[in-house]
Amino acid sequence: MLNAIDKKVLKEVADLEGIPKGAYNIRKNGKLEGREVSANINIETNEKGDGIVIDIKPGTVNESVHIPVILSQAGLHDVVYNTFIIGEGSDVTIVAGCGIHCGSNESEGHSGIHEFYIKAGAKITYVEKHIAIGEGSGKRILNPTTKVFMEENAQAQMELTQLGGVDEAKRANEATIGAGSVLLITERVMTEKEQSAESKNEITLAGTDSKTNIVSRSVIKGSSSQDFYVNLTAKARCYGHIECDAIIMDNGINQTIPALRALHPDAELTHEASIGKIANDQLMKLMSLGLDYDQAVNRIIQGFLR
Amino acid sequence: MLQLQNIIFTVPASDSGKEPPAGQTIINDVSFTFEPGGFYAITGPNGSGKTTIAKLIMGINEPTSGRIMFNGNDITSLPINERSNAGIVYGFQHPARFKGTTFRDLLSISLGSDDEEKLVNIISRVGVCSMDFLDKPVDSKLSGGEIKKIELATVIARNPKVAIYDEPDTGIDLWTIGPMVDLLKREQKENNTTTIVVSHNKTFLEAADTLLLIKKGKIAYTGDLAGAMPMLEDLSVCTFDELCQGEDDAQCYR
Ligand SMILES: Nc1ncnc2c1ncn2[C@@H]1O[C@H](COP(=O)(O)OP(=O)(O)OP(=O)(O)O)[C@@H](O)[C@H]1O
Ligand SMILES: [Mg+2]
Repeated sequence: MLNAIDKKVLKEVADLEGIPKGAYNIRKNGKLEGREVSANINIETNEKGDGIVIDIKPGTVNESVHIPVILSQAGLHDVVYNTFIIGEGSDVTIVAGCGIHCGSNESEGHSGIHEFYIKAGAKITYVEKHIAIGEGSGKRILNPTTKVFMEENAQAQMELTQLGGVDEAKRANEATIGAGSVLLITERVMTEKEQSAESKNEITLAGTDSKTNIVSRSVIKGSSSQDFYVNLTAKARCYGHIECDAIIMDNGINQTIPALRALHPDAELTHEASIGKIANDQLMKLMSLGLDYDQAVNRIIQGFLR
Repeated sequence: MLQLQNIIFTVPASDSGKEPPAGQTIINDVSFTFEPGGFYAITGPNGSGKTTIAKLIMGINEPTSGRIMFNGNDITSLPINERSNAGIVYGFQHPARFKGTTFRDLLSISLGSDDEEKLVNIISRVGVCSMDFLDKPVDSKLSGGEIKKIELATVIARNPKVAIYDEPDTGIDLWTIGPMVDLLKREQKENNTTTIVVSHNKTFLEAADTLLLIKKGKIAYTGDLAGAMPMLEDLSVCTFDELCQGEDDAQCYR
Protein backbone atom coordinates (compact mmCIF):
# COMPACT_ATOMS: atom_id res chain seq x y z
CA MET A 1 0.00 0.00 0.00
CA LEU A 2 1.11 3.51 -0.71
CA ASN A 3 1.07 5.80 2.30
CA ALA A 4 0.77 9.58 2.37
CA ILE A 5 4.54 10.09 2.12
CA ASP A 6 4.79 7.69 -0.83
CA LYS A 7 2.03 9.58 -2.58
CA LYS A 8 3.80 12.86 -2.02
CA VAL A 9 7.02 11.41 -3.44
CA LEU A 10 5.15 10.02 -6.45
CA LYS A 11 3.57 13.37 -7.08
CA GLU A 12 6.98 15.06 -7.06
CA VAL A 13 8.93 12.60 -9.18
CA ALA A 14 6.31 11.47 -11.65
CA ASP A 15 3.49 14.03 -11.45
CA LEU A 16 1.24 11.20 -10.35
CA GLU A 17 -1.80 11.67 -8.15
CA GLY A 18 -1.98 7.93 -7.48
CA ILE A 19 -1.58 4.79 -9.52
CA PRO A 20 -0.75 5.75 -13.12
CA LYS A 21 -2.69 4.80 -16.24
CA GLY A 22 -1.03 2.39 -18.65
CA ALA A 23 2.04 0.32 -17.90
CA TYR A 24 3.92 0.97 -14.70
CA ASN A 25 6.30 -0.52 -12.18
CA ILE A 26 6.57 1.01 -8.74
CA ARG A 27 9.56 0.03 -6.64
CA LYS A 28 9.59 0.85 -2.95
CA ASN A 29 12.53 0.25 -0.62
CA GLY A 30 14.11 -2.26 -2.97
CA LYS A 31 10.94 -4.28 -3.52
CA LEU A 32 8.18 -4.42 -6.09
CA GLU A 33 5.21 -2.39 -4.92
CA GLY A 34 3.01 -2.66 -7.98
CA ARG A 35 3.15 -3.46 -11.69
CA GLU A 36 0.88 -3.25 -14.66
CA VAL A 37 1.67 -4.25 -18.21
CA SER A 38 -0.22 -3.35 -21.37
CA ALA A 39 -0.86 -5.14 -24.64
CA ASN A 40 2.23 -3.52 -26.16
CA ILE A 41 4.43 -2.92 -23.16
CA ASN A 42 5.74 -5.80 -21.13
CA ILE A 43 7.57 -5.46 -17.82
CA GLU A 44 9.38 -8.42 -16.28
CA THR A 45 11.85 -8.93 -13.50
CA ASN A 46 15.25 -9.68 -15.06
CA GLU A 47 17.01 -13.05 -14.77
CA LYS A 48 19.27 -12.02 -11.93
CA GLY A 49 16.36 -10.54 -10.05
CA ASP A 50 18.12 -7.19 -9.60
CA GLY A 51 15.95 -5.11 -11.91
CA ILE A 52 13.38 -5.11 -14.64
CA VAL A 53 13.22 -5.47 -18.41
CA ILE A 54 10.78 -3.20 -20.17
CA ASP A 55 9.96 -4.44 -23.61
CA ILE A 56 8.09 -2.17 -25.96
CA LYS A 57 6.67 -3.86 -29.04
CA PRO A 58 7.57 -2.47 -32.46
CA GLY A 59 5.09 0.11 -33.67
CA THR A 60 3.73 1.03 -30.23
CA VAL A 61 2.67 4.66 -30.37
CA ASN A 62 1.31 7.19 -27.89
CA GLU A 63 1.83 5.00 -24.86
CA SER A 64 3.67 5.72 -21.66
CA VAL A 65 5.45 3.77 -18.94
CA HIS A 66 5.96 4.99 -15.39
CA ILE A 67 8.71 3.42 -13.31
CA PRO A 68 9.09 5.49 -10.15
CA VAL A 69 11.25 4.44 -7.22
CA ILE A 70 10.44 5.35 -3.63
CA LEU A 71 12.99 5.14 -0.87
CA SER A 72 12.05 5.73 2.75
CA GLN A 73 13.92 3.07 4.70
CA ALA A 74 16.78 4.31 6.88
CA GLY A 75 20.18 2.95 5.90
CA LEU A 76 19.02 1.37 2.65
CA HIS A 77 21.21 1.69 -0.45
CA ASP A 78 19.18 0.32 -3.29
CA VAL A 79 20.81 -0.70 -6.57
CA VAL A 80 18.70 -1.56 -9.58
CA TYR A 81 19.46 -2.60 -13.19
CA ASN A 82 16.74 -1.73 -15.66
CA THR A 83 16.76 -2.53 -19.36
CA PHE A 84 14.54 -0.85 -21.92
CA ILE A 85 14.01 -2.32 -25.35
CA ILE A 86 12.23 0.15 -27.57
CA GLY A 87 10.85 -1.62 -30.63
CA GLU A 88 11.19 -0.37 -34.19
CA GLY A 89 9.03 2.56 -35.16
CA SER A 90 7.49 3.03 -31.72
CA ASP A 91 6.85 6.40 -30.09
CA VAL A 92 6.63 6.30 -26.30
CA THR A 93 7.18 8.33 -23.15
CA ILE A 94 9.02 6.84 -20.21
CA VAL A 95 8.74 8.55 -16.86
CA ALA A 96 11.31 7.43 -14.35
CA GLY A 97 12.55 9.11 -11.22
CA CYS A 98 13.47 8.50 -7.67
CA GLY A 99 12.19 10.13 -4.56
CA ILE A 100 13.93 9.73 -1.24
CA HIS A 101 12.16 10.45 1.98
CA CYS A 102 14.66 10.58 4.76
CA GLY A 103 13.32 10.52 8.29
CA SER A 104 16.40 9.57 10.30
CA ASN A 105 20.10 10.34 10.63
CA GLU A 106 21.07 7.30 8.55
CA SER A 107 21.90 7.79 4.91
CA GLU A 108 19.73 6.51 2.09
CA GLY A 109 20.70 6.00 -1.49
CA HIS A 110 19.60 4.77 -4.87
CA SER A 111 21.66 3.79 -7.88
CA GLY A 112 19.62 3.18 -10.97
CA ILE A 113 21.47 1.73 -13.94
CA HIS A 114 19.31 2.20 -17.00
CA GLU A 115 20.14 0.74 -20.39
CA PHE A 116 18.21 1.75 -23.46
CA TYR A 117 18.22 -0.17 -26.72
CA ILE A 118 16.44 2.10 -29.16
CA LYS A 119 15.66 0.28 -32.39
CA ALA A 120 15.52 1.76 -35.87
CA GLY A 121 13.01 4.56 -36.34
CA ALA A 122 11.86 4.51 -32.71
CA LYS A 123 11.21 7.68 -30.78
CA ILE A 124 11.30 8.07 -27.02
CA THR A 125 10.92 10.82 -24.50
CA TYR A 126 12.55 9.93 -21.23
CA VAL A 127 11.76 12.06 -18.21
CA GLU A 128 13.70 11.49 -15.02
CA LYS A 129 13.28 13.52 -11.87
CA HIS A 130 15.19 13.14 -8.66
CA ILE A 131 14.06 14.60 -5.40
CA ALA A 132 14.73 14.14 -1.72
CA ILE A 133 12.58 15.30 1.15
CA GLY A 134 12.09 14.58 4.85
CA GLU A 135 13.24 15.96 8.18
CA GLY A 136 16.00 13.38 8.76
CA SER A 137 19.63 14.46 8.77
CA GLY A 138 20.91 11.36 6.93
CA LYS A 139 22.65 11.87 3.62
CA ARG A 140 20.50 11.38 0.51
CA ILE A 141 22.53 9.91 -2.29
CA LEU A 142 21.51 9.34 -5.91
CA ASN A 143 23.87 7.84 -8.47
CA PRO A 144 22.08 7.32 -11.76
CA THR A 145 23.71 5.72 -14.78
CA THR A 146 22.17 5.91 -18.21
CA LYS A 147 23.45 3.96 -21.21
CA VAL A 148 21.84 4.58 -24.56
CA PHE A 149 22.35 2.60 -27.76
CA MET A 150 20.59 4.06 -30.74
CA GLU A 151 20.20 2.24 -34.08
CA GLU A 152 19.42 4.19 -37.26
CA ASN A 153 16.96 7.05 -37.59
CA ALA A 154 15.88 6.90 -33.98
CA GLN A 155 15.11 9.88 -31.78
CA ALA A 156 15.55 10.23 -28.06
CA GLN A 157 14.84 13.19 -25.89
CA MET A 158 16.06 12.88 -22.31
CA GLU A 159 15.12 15.29 -19.58
CA LEU A 160 17.12 14.75 -16.43
CA THR A 161 16.18 16.88 -13.48
CA GLN A 162 17.38 17.20 -9.91
CA LEU A 163 16.09 20.24 -8.11
CA GLY A 164 17.30 20.27 -4.56
CA GLY A 165 17.33 17.98 -1.56
CA VAL A 166 19.93 15.52 -2.84
CA ASP A 167 23.19 15.65 -0.87
CA GLU A 168 25.36 13.67 -3.25
CA ALA A 169 24.78 12.84 -6.87
CA LYS A 170 27.11 11.14 -9.28
CA ARG A 171 25.60 10.79 -12.68
CA ALA A 172 27.04 8.94 -15.65
CA ASN A 173 25.50 9.16 -19.10
CA GLU A 174 26.78 7.16 -22.03
CA ALA A 175 25.38 7.13 -25.51
CA THR A 176 26.19 5.73 -28.94
CA ILE A 177 24.22 7.34 -31.70
CA GLY A 178 23.61 5.48 -34.97
CA ALA A 179 23.19 6.82 -38.50
CA GLY A 180 20.49 9.48 -38.88
CA SER A 181 19.61 9.28 -35.18
CA VAL A 182 19.11 12.28 -32.92
CA LEU A 183 19.79 12.46 -29.19
CA LEU A 184 18.77 15.49 -27.16
CA ILE A 185 19.78 15.62 -23.52
CA THR A 186 18.75 18.37 -21.13
CA GLU A 187 20.06 18.21 -17.62
CA ARG A 188 18.85 20.60 -14.94
CA VAL A 189 20.47 20.55 -11.55
CA MET A 190 20.02 22.80 -8.55
CA THR A 191 22.19 22.28 -5.52
CA GLU A 192 22.27 24.16 -2.23
CA LYS A 193 23.81 24.02 1.26
CA GLU A 194 26.76 21.59 1.25
CA GLN A 195 25.44 19.42 -1.58
CA SER A 196 27.54 18.16 -4.45
CA ALA A 197 26.59 16.93 -7.89
CA GLU A 198 28.72 15.48 -10.62
CA SER A 199 27.70 14.58 -14.13
CA LYS A 200 29.96 12.67 -16.52
CA ASN A 201 28.87 12.27 -20.10
CA GLU A 202 30.46 10.12 -22.79
CA ILE A 203 28.61 10.64 -26.03
CA THR A 204 29.64 9.08 -29.34
CA LEU A 205 28.27 10.15 -32.68
CA ALA A 206 28.87 6.85 -34.45
CA GLY A 207 26.74 6.87 -37.59
CA THR A 208 26.56 9.11 -40.64
CA ASP A 209 24.33 12.15 -40.09
CA SER A 210 23.82 11.42 -36.43
CA LYS A 211 23.05 14.46 -34.31
CA THR A 212 23.15 15.44 -30.68
CA ASN A 213 22.46 18.48 -28.56
CA ILE A 214 23.51 18.38 -24.93
CA VAL A 215 22.20 21.13 -22.70
CA SER A 216 23.16 21.55 -19.08
CA ARG A 217 21.64 24.14 -16.79
CA SER A 218 23.09 24.40 -13.30
CA VAL A 219 22.17 26.57 -10.37
CA ILE A 220 24.65 26.41 -7.52
CA LYS A 221 23.48 27.92 -4.26
CA GLY A 222 24.88 28.03 -0.72
CA SER A 223 28.25 26.29 -0.44
CA SER A 224 27.35 23.56 -2.89
CA SER A 225 29.38 22.39 -5.85
CA GLN A 226 28.69 20.98 -9.29
CA ASP A 227 30.99 19.44 -11.85
CA PHE A 228 29.92 18.80 -15.39
CA TYR A 229 31.97 16.84 -17.91
CA VAL A 230 31.12 15.97 -21.50
CA ASN A 231 33.27 14.12 -23.93
CA LEU A 232 31.69 14.30 -27.34
CA THR A 233 33.33 12.03 -29.89
CA ALA A 234 32.51 12.03 -33.59
CA LYS A 235 33.25 9.01 -35.74
CA ALA A 236 31.29 9.94 -38.84
CA ARG A 237 29.86 12.89 -40.72
CA CYS A 238 27.67 14.26 -37.96
CA TYR A 239 26.62 17.28 -35.97
CA GLY A 240 27.00 17.82 -32.25
CA HIS A 241 26.53 20.74 -29.91
CA ILE A 242 27.11 21.18 -26.18
CA GLU A 243 25.64 24.06 -24.24
CA CYS A 244 26.44 24.40 -20.54
CA ASP A 245 25.31 27.30 -18.42
CA ALA A 246 25.93 27.61 -14.73
CA ILE A 247 24.60 30.30 -12.44
CA ILE A 248 26.54 30.66 -9.23
CA MET A 249 24.84 32.15 -6.22
CA ASP A 250 26.27 32.66 -2.75
CA ASN A 251 29.52 30.65 -2.44
CA GLY A 252 28.86 27.90 -4.95
CA ILE A 253 31.64 26.26 -6.94
CA ASN A 254 31.41 25.00 -10.50
CA GLN A 255 33.57 23.19 -12.98
CA THR A 256 32.36 22.77 -16.54
CA ILE A 257 34.51 20.76 -18.91
CA PRO A 258 33.18 20.22 -22.40
CA ALA A 259 35.50 18.32 -24.74
CA LEU A 260 35.10 17.78 -28.46
CA ARG A 261 36.85 15.02 -30.36
CA ALA A 262 36.49 14.70 -34.12
CA LEU A 263 37.73 11.40 -35.55
CA HIS A 264 36.17 12.07 -38.93
CA PRO A 265 36.90 14.99 -41.29
CA ASP A 266 33.20 15.83 -41.81
CA ALA A 267 32.34 16.07 -38.14
CA GLU A 268 30.87 19.36 -37.02
CA LEU A 269 31.14 19.91 -33.29
CA THR A 270 30.54 23.06 -31.28
CA HIS A 271 30.25 24.03 -27.64
CA GLU A 272 29.24 27.01 -25.57
CA ALA A 273 29.87 27.22 -21.88
CA SER A 274 29.30 29.96 -19.38
CA ILE A 275 29.64 30.28 -15.63
CA GLY A 276 28.63 33.39 -13.78
CA LYS A 277 26.27 35.22 -11.50
CA ILE A 278 22.76 36.17 -12.56
CA ALA A 279 23.07 38.72 -15.34
CA ASN A 280 22.57 42.25 -14.16
CA ASP A 281 20.54 43.35 -17.18
CA GLN A 282 18.03 40.56 -16.51
CA LEU A 283 17.66 41.67 -12.89
CA MET A 284 17.25 45.32 -13.92
CA LYS A 285 14.55 44.40 -16.42
CA LEU A 286 12.48 42.43 -13.94
CA MET A 287 12.91 45.07 -11.25
CA SER A 288 11.76 47.71 -13.73
CA LEU A 289 8.59 45.64 -14.03
CA GLY A 290 8.03 45.92 -10.28
CA LEU A 291 9.71 42.84 -8.78
CA ASP A 292 12.03 43.28 -5.81
CA TYR A 293 15.54 41.85 -5.97
CA ASP A 294 14.70 38.44 -4.46
CA GLN A 295 11.58 37.97 -6.58
CA ALA A 296 13.56 38.88 -9.68
CA VAL A 297 16.26 36.31 -8.83
CA ASN A 298 13.62 33.63 -8.31
CA ARG A 299 11.90 34.29 -11.61
CA ILE A 300 15.18 34.21 -13.51
CA ILE A 301 16.18 30.89 -11.92
CA GLN A 302 12.72 29.44 -12.51
CA GLY A 303 12.91 30.23 -16.22
CA PHE A 304 16.50 29.02 -16.45
CA LEU A 305 15.67 25.61 -14.97
CA ARG A 306 12.47 25.15 -16.92
CA MET B 1 4.97 65.78 -12.96
CA LEU B 2 8.50 64.46 -13.25
CA GLN B 3 11.29 66.86 -12.47
CA LEU B 4 15.01 66.55 -12.96
CA GLN B 5 16.79 69.09 -10.77
CA ASN B 6 20.46 69.83 -11.48
CA ILE B 7 21.29 66.22 -12.23
CA ILE B 8 24.97 65.40 -12.48
CA PHE B 9 26.19 61.89 -13.21
CA THR B 10 29.85 61.04 -13.12
CA VAL B 11 31.27 57.58 -13.77
CA PRO B 12 31.25 55.73 -10.47
CA ALA B 13 34.60 54.24 -9.40
CA SER B 14 33.13 50.73 -9.35
CA ASP B 15 32.04 50.86 -13.03
CA SER B 16 35.21 52.17 -14.49
CA GLY B 17 38.23 50.30 -15.69
CA LYS B 18 41.03 52.59 -16.77
CA GLU B 19 38.99 54.32 -19.50
CA PRO B 20 36.98 56.42 -18.98
CA PRO B 21 38.48 57.35 -15.63
CA ALA B 22 36.18 57.40 -12.63
CA GLY B 23 34.89 60.88 -12.12
CA GLN B 24 34.30 61.63 -15.80
CA THR B 25 31.08 63.60 -16.14
CA ILE B 26 28.47 61.98 -18.38
CA ILE B 27 25.47 64.13 -17.44
CA ASN B 28 26.33 67.68 -16.62
CA ASP B 29 23.73 69.65 -14.70
CA VAL B 30 20.50 68.67 -16.40
CA SER B 31 17.23 70.20 -15.21
CA PHE B 32 13.89 69.62 -16.89
CA THR B 33 10.22 69.17 -16.06
CA PHE B 34 8.10 66.58 -17.84
CA GLU B 35 4.43 67.55 -17.61
CA PRO B 36 1.79 64.84 -17.09
CA GLY B 37 0.45 63.49 -20.37
CA GLY B 38 3.11 65.20 -22.48
CA PHE B 39 4.85 63.56 -25.42
CA TYR B 40 8.59 64.18 -25.39
CA ALA B 41 11.31 63.13 -27.77
CA ILE B 42 14.95 63.05 -26.68
CA THR B 43 17.51 63.10 -29.44
CA GLY B 44 21.19 63.84 -29.88
CA PRO B 45 24.40 62.26 -31.14
CA ASN B 46 25.59 58.80 -30.08
CA GLY B 47 27.19 58.90 -26.69
CA SER B 48 25.65 62.24 -25.72
CA GLY B 49 23.94 60.82 -22.63
CA LYS B 50 20.34 60.02 -23.67
CA THR B 51 20.27 56.49 -22.27
CA THR B 52 22.05 57.64 -19.14
CA ILE B 53 19.27 60.19 -18.51
CA ALA B 54 16.60 57.51 -19.04
CA LYS B 55 18.37 55.17 -16.61
CA LEU B 56 18.67 57.96 -14.05
CA ILE B 57 14.90 58.42 -14.21
CA MET B 58 14.30 54.66 -13.81
CA GLY B 59 16.77 54.40 -10.91
CA ILE B 60 19.21 52.14 -12.73
CA ASN B 61 21.82 54.90 -12.47
CA GLU B 62 22.05 56.93 -9.30
CA PRO B 63 22.83 60.63 -9.77
CA THR B 64 26.07 61.91 -8.29
CA SER B 65 24.17 65.03 -7.31
CA GLY B 66 20.81 66.62 -7.96
CA ARG B 67 17.25 65.54 -7.24
CA ILE B 68 14.47 63.73 -9.06
CA MET B 69 10.93 64.63 -8.00
CA PHE B 70 7.83 62.69 -9.06
CA ASN B 71 4.39 64.04 -8.23
CA GLY B 72 5.78 65.98 -5.29
CA ASN B 73 7.88 63.11 -3.87
CA ASP B 74 11.65 62.95 -3.86
CA ILE B 75 12.44 59.66 -5.62
CA THR B 76 16.19 60.27 -6.02
CA SER B 77 17.14 57.24 -3.92
CA LEU B 78 14.09 55.07 -4.52
CA PRO B 79 14.99 51.56 -5.80
CA ILE B 80 14.04 50.56 -9.35
CA ASN B 81 11.08 48.36 -8.42
CA GLU B 82 9.54 51.03 -6.20
CA ARG B 83 9.81 53.57 -8.99
CA SER B 84 8.14 51.05 -11.24
CA ASN B 85 5.35 50.61 -8.71
CA ALA B 86 5.03 54.39 -8.55
CA GLY B 87 4.34 54.34 -12.30
CA ILE B 88 7.66 54.89 -14.06
CA VAL B 89 8.67 52.24 -16.60
CA TYR B 90 11.64 52.13 -18.97
CA GLY B 91 11.93 50.16 -22.20
CA PHE B 92 15.61 49.35 -22.64
CA GLN B 93 17.66 50.31 -25.69
CA HIS B 94 19.31 46.88 -25.49
CA PRO B 95 16.72 44.62 -23.88
CA ALA B 96 17.98 41.81 -21.65
CA ARG B 97 18.08 38.39 -23.22
CA PHE B 98 17.15 35.62 -20.81
CA LYS B 99 17.51 31.86 -20.85
CA GLY B 100 14.22 30.00 -20.56
CA THR B 101 12.12 33.01 -19.53
CA THR B 102 9.37 33.56 -22.09
CA PHE B 103 7.44 36.58 -23.34
CA ARG B 104 4.47 35.19 -21.39
CA ASP B 105 6.54 35.33 -18.19
CA LEU B 106 7.58 38.94 -18.75
CA LEU B 107 4.10 40.03 -19.74
CA SER B 108 2.54 38.34 -16.69
CA ILE B 109 5.05 40.00 -14.37
CA SER B 110 4.33 43.34 -15.97
CA LEU B 111 0.55 42.88 -15.80
CA GLY B 112 0.65 41.32 -12.34
CA SER B 113 -1.51 38.49 -13.66
CA ASP B 114 -1.07 35.42 -15.84
CA ASP B 115 -4.72 35.37 -16.85
CA GLU B 116 -4.82 34.23 -20.50
CA GLU B 117 -7.55 36.65 -21.48
CA LYS B 118 -5.66 39.62 -20.06
CA LEU B 119 -2.49 38.57 -21.85
CA VAL B 120 -4.32 38.25 -25.14
CA ASN B 121 -5.95 41.64 -24.57
CA ILE B 122 -2.65 43.36 -24.02
CA ILE B 123 -1.13 41.76 -27.12
CA SER B 124 -3.98 42.94 -29.27
CA ARG B 125 -3.80 46.39 -27.67
CA VAL B 126 -0.10 46.61 -28.50
CA GLY B 127 -0.76 45.23 -31.95
CA VAL B 128 2.86 44.99 -33.07
CA CYS B 129 3.51 41.58 -31.43
CA SER B 130 1.94 38.49 -32.93
CA MET B 131 0.10 36.05 -30.63
CA ASP B 132 2.57 33.28 -31.32
CA PHE B 133 5.31 35.34 -29.65
CA LEU B 134 3.68 34.50 -26.33
CA ASP B 135 5.52 31.28 -25.59
CA LYS B 136 8.78 32.25 -27.20
CA PRO B 137 11.78 32.37 -24.91
CA VAL B 138 13.15 35.91 -24.69
CA ASP B 139 16.66 34.75 -25.52
CA SER B 140 19.48 35.35 -27.95
CA LYS B 141 17.57 33.62 -30.75
CA LEU B 142 15.06 36.47 -31.09
CA SER B 143 15.75 38.92 -33.88
CA GLY B 144 16.62 42.52 -33.08
CA GLY B 145 13.18 43.76 -34.14
CA GLU B 146 11.28 41.01 -32.32
CA ILE B 147 12.92 41.71 -28.98
CA LYS B 148 12.21 45.44 -29.32
CA LYS B 149 8.53 44.72 -29.93
CA ILE B 150 8.44 42.52 -26.86
CA GLU B 151 10.20 45.18 -24.82
CA LEU B 152 7.62 47.75 -25.88
CA ALA B 153 4.74 45.44 -24.97
CA THR B 154 6.11 44.80 -21.47
CA VAL B 155 6.23 48.56 -20.84
CA ILE B 156 2.69 49.19 -22.07
CA ALA B 157 1.33 46.20 -20.12
CA ARG B 158 2.23 47.98 -16.89
CA ASN B 159 -0.02 50.94 -17.70
CA PRO B 160 2.69 53.37 -16.66
CA LYS B 161 2.16 57.00 -15.71
CA VAL B 162 5.55 57.76 -17.24
CA ALA B 163 6.77 55.55 -20.08
CA ILE B 164 10.31 55.94 -21.40
CA TYR B 165 11.13 54.16 -24.64
CA ASP B 166 14.80 54.04 -25.56
CA GLU B 167 15.07 53.87 -29.36
CA PRO B 168 11.94 51.70 -29.75
CA ASP B 169 12.36 51.73 -33.53
CA THR B 170 15.79 50.03 -33.68
CA GLY B 171 15.50 47.05 -36.00
CA ILE B 172 11.78 47.63 -36.56
CA ASP B 173 10.61 47.20 -40.14
CA LEU B 174 9.31 50.19 -42.12
CA TRP B 175 5.73 48.90 -42.00
CA THR B 176 5.63 48.87 -38.20
CA ILE B 177 7.08 52.30 -37.38
CA GLY B 178 3.87 54.17 -38.28
CA PRO B 179 1.60 51.88 -36.20
CA MET B 180 4.11 52.08 -33.35
CA VAL B 181 3.95 55.87 -33.27
CA ASP B 182 0.12 55.68 -33.42
CA LEU B 183 0.15 53.23 -30.54
CA LEU B 184 2.27 55.46 -28.31
CA LYS B 185 0.05 58.44 -29.22
CA ARG B 186 -3.07 56.45 -28.38
CA GLU B 187 -1.62 55.32 -25.04
CA GLN B 188 -0.69 58.93 -24.30
CA LYS B 189 -4.20 60.22 -25.11
CA GLU B 190 -6.28 57.44 -23.56
CA ASN B 191 -4.29 56.94 -20.36
CA ASN B 192 -2.68 60.36 -20.09
CA THR B 193 0.71 58.62 -20.11
CA THR B 194 3.69 60.93 -19.98
CA THR B 195 5.59 59.56 -22.96
CA ILE B 196 9.32 60.01 -23.42
CA VAL B 197 10.89 58.56 -26.54
CA VAL B 198 14.62 58.51 -27.14
CA SER B 199 15.04 58.42 -30.90
CA HIS B 200 16.95 59.46 -33.97
CA ASN B 201 13.90 58.76 -36.12
CA LYS B 202 12.11 61.74 -37.67
CA THR B 203 8.71 60.07 -37.33
CA PHE B 204 9.04 60.06 -33.54
CA LEU B 205 10.54 63.54 -33.42
CA GLU B 206 7.53 64.80 -35.40
CA ALA B 207 5.10 63.04 -33.10
CA ALA B 208 6.42 64.76 -29.98
CA ASP B 209 5.04 67.98 -28.48
CA THR B 210 8.45 68.82 -27.11
CA LEU B 211 11.89 67.87 -28.25
CA LEU B 212 15.02 67.73 -26.06
CA LEU B 213 18.35 67.82 -27.82
CA ILE B 214 21.18 66.39 -25.74
CA LYS B 215 24.77 67.25 -26.54
CA LYS B 216 27.75 66.19 -24.44
CA GLY B 217 25.66 65.54 -21.34
CA LYS B 218 23.75 68.79 -21.45
CA ILE B 219 20.39 69.86 -22.79
CA ALA B 220 21.33 71.91 -25.86
CA TYR B 221 17.78 72.71 -26.91
CA THR B 222 14.19 72.25 -25.81
CA GLY B 223 11.17 73.20 -27.84
CA ASP B 224 9.43 72.16 -31.01
CA LEU B 225 10.98 70.29 -33.92
CA ALA B 226 10.96 73.29 -36.27
CA GLY B 227 13.10 75.25 -33.85
CA ALA B 228 15.53 72.35 -33.52
CA MET B 229 15.99 71.82 -37.23
CA PRO B 230 18.95 74.17 -37.72
CA MET B 231 20.86 72.47 -34.88
CA LEU B 232 19.90 68.97 -36.04
CA GLU B 233 21.01 69.73 -39.58
CA ASP B 234 24.23 71.12 -38.24
CA LEU B 235 24.80 67.90 -36.28
CA SER B 236 23.89 65.73 -39.22
CA VAL B 237 26.32 67.40 -41.60
CA CYS B 238 29.46 66.10 -40.05
CA THR B 239 30.77 64.86 -36.76
CA PHE B 240 34.37 65.79 -37.55
CA ASP B 241 33.67 69.50 -37.13
CA GLU B 242 37.04 70.30 -35.60
CA LEU B 243 39.04 68.58 -38.36
CA CYS B 244 36.83 69.31 -41.36
CA GLN B 245 38.06 71.52 -44.13
CA GLY B 246 34.95 71.33 -46.28
CA GLU B 247 33.28 68.52 -48.13
CA ASP B 248 34.86 69.26 -51.50
CA ASP B 249 38.28 69.21 -50.00
CA ALA B 250 40.40 66.08 -50.31
CA GLN B 251 40.77 66.05 -46.53
CA CYS B 252 37.14 65.25 -45.73
CA TYR B 253 37.22 62.76 -42.83
CA ARG B 254 33.75 61.33 -43.38
N1 LIG C 1 28.51 53.50 -16.09
C1 LIG C 1 29.27 54.04 -17.04
N2 LIG C 1 30.62 53.96 -16.98
C2 LIG C 1 31.40 54.51 -17.91
N3 LIG C 1 30.92 55.17 -18.96
C3 LIG C 1 29.61 55.31 -19.10
C4 LIG C 1 28.70 54.75 -18.16
N4 LIG C 1 27.45 55.00 -18.57
C5 LIG C 1 27.56 55.71 -19.71
N5 LIG C 1 28.86 55.90 -20.02
C6 LIG C 1 29.36 56.68 -21.18
O1 LIG C 1 28.59 57.85 -21.24
C7 LIG C 1 28.36 58.24 -22.57
C8 LIG C 1 26.86 58.40 -22.80
O2 LIG C 1 26.28 57.14 -22.91
P1 LIG C 1 24.75 56.91 -23.28
O3 LIG C 1 24.52 55.47 -23.34
O4 LIG C 1 23.91 57.69 -22.34
O5 LIG C 1 24.68 57.57 -24.74
P2 LIG C 1 23.44 57.72 -25.72
O6 LIG C 1 23.22 59.17 -25.90
O7 LIG C 1 22.31 56.92 -25.27
O8 LIG C 1 24.05 57.13 -27.07
P3 LIG C 1 23.38 56.23 -28.25
O9 LIG C 1 22.71 57.18 -29.17
O10 LIG C 1 24.55 55.60 -28.91
O11 LIG C 1 22.48 55.26 -27.61
C9 LIG C 1 29.03 57.22 -23.43
O12 LIG C 1 30.28 57.72 -23.82
C10 LIG C 1 29.18 56.02 -22.53
O13 LIG C 1 30.28 55.27 -22.88
MG1 LIG D 1 21.41 55.20 -25.92
